[in-house]
Amino acid sequence: MVARAESDRHVVVDMEAALEHLSRGTGRHVSRLVAVLEPYYRSMETARNVVALATELGVPDVVVVANKVRDAADREAITEFCRTHAMRLVGEVPYDGQLADVERSGRAPIDAAAGSPAVVAIEALAGPLGSDAPMAMTRLVGAT
Amino acid sequence: MRIAIAGKGGTGKTTIAGTLARALARTGREVLAIDANTNPNLASVLGIPPASANAIVGLPRNLMQRTTHEDGTTTTKFGADPEALIREYAIRGPDDVQLMVMGRVGHGGAG
Repeated sequence: MVARAESDRHVVVDMEAALEHLSRGTGRHVSRLVAVLEPYYRSMETARNVVALATELGVPDVVVVANKVRDAADREAITEFCRTHAMRLVGEVPYDGQLADVERSGRAPIDAAAGSPAVVAIEALAGPLGSDAPMAMTRLVGAT
Repeated sequence: MRIAIAGKGGTGKTTIAGTLARALARTGREVLAIDANTNPNLASVLGIPPASANAIVGLPRNLMQRTTHEDGTTTTKFGADPEALIREYAIRGPDDVQLMVMGRVGHGGAG
């Protein structure tokens, strides 16, 4: 088996909105921070604060991914909020009923719900999120 | 890339972080996942069985060294060699993803 090079390693940190483990000293060591939001006001407001704080702490690339998006109305609300607050929306994960069952059972969605819409969407984001190239912002289909 | 996933609890950020880690590992790169939540549950999204997850020892909370300089600014850095920490504290899961958990506040006893 070929050992994977440590120098090629990706690091993925799952952290709370307060960004407790980041400080001015460590913010710059994060390449990219993804603020996750759902299409309701308090979640979007929290994400707005996360984006502001991460930027202030020196994270070089701060982006937003919307999760549990159900329909065009959700998409519209999120896009409008991000546009208003200059938040860089780069991806969307759909609401996926299959995940609730899987997570109740304590299994990994990528194993137990392989091919389900949310898993597919996250897998599609892996390439852009893991690349050091700047990420493109998503657009509403049909938006002018 | 060093990617932080952050958000309000319940937004599904842990699902995204863990599934992303597995997907990145499938591109052939080494992946280290770090659970920095107060109530860590990234392990299950990574596919690490509960018995192994419950045995994970969290990183000591006093690892970060904060230095205050004469001008009042502070810098924070790791007080230990990261590779040594990974060797000691990380466990491997499916797709070879390594998981480390940030230390928990001490528990009072069996719950």
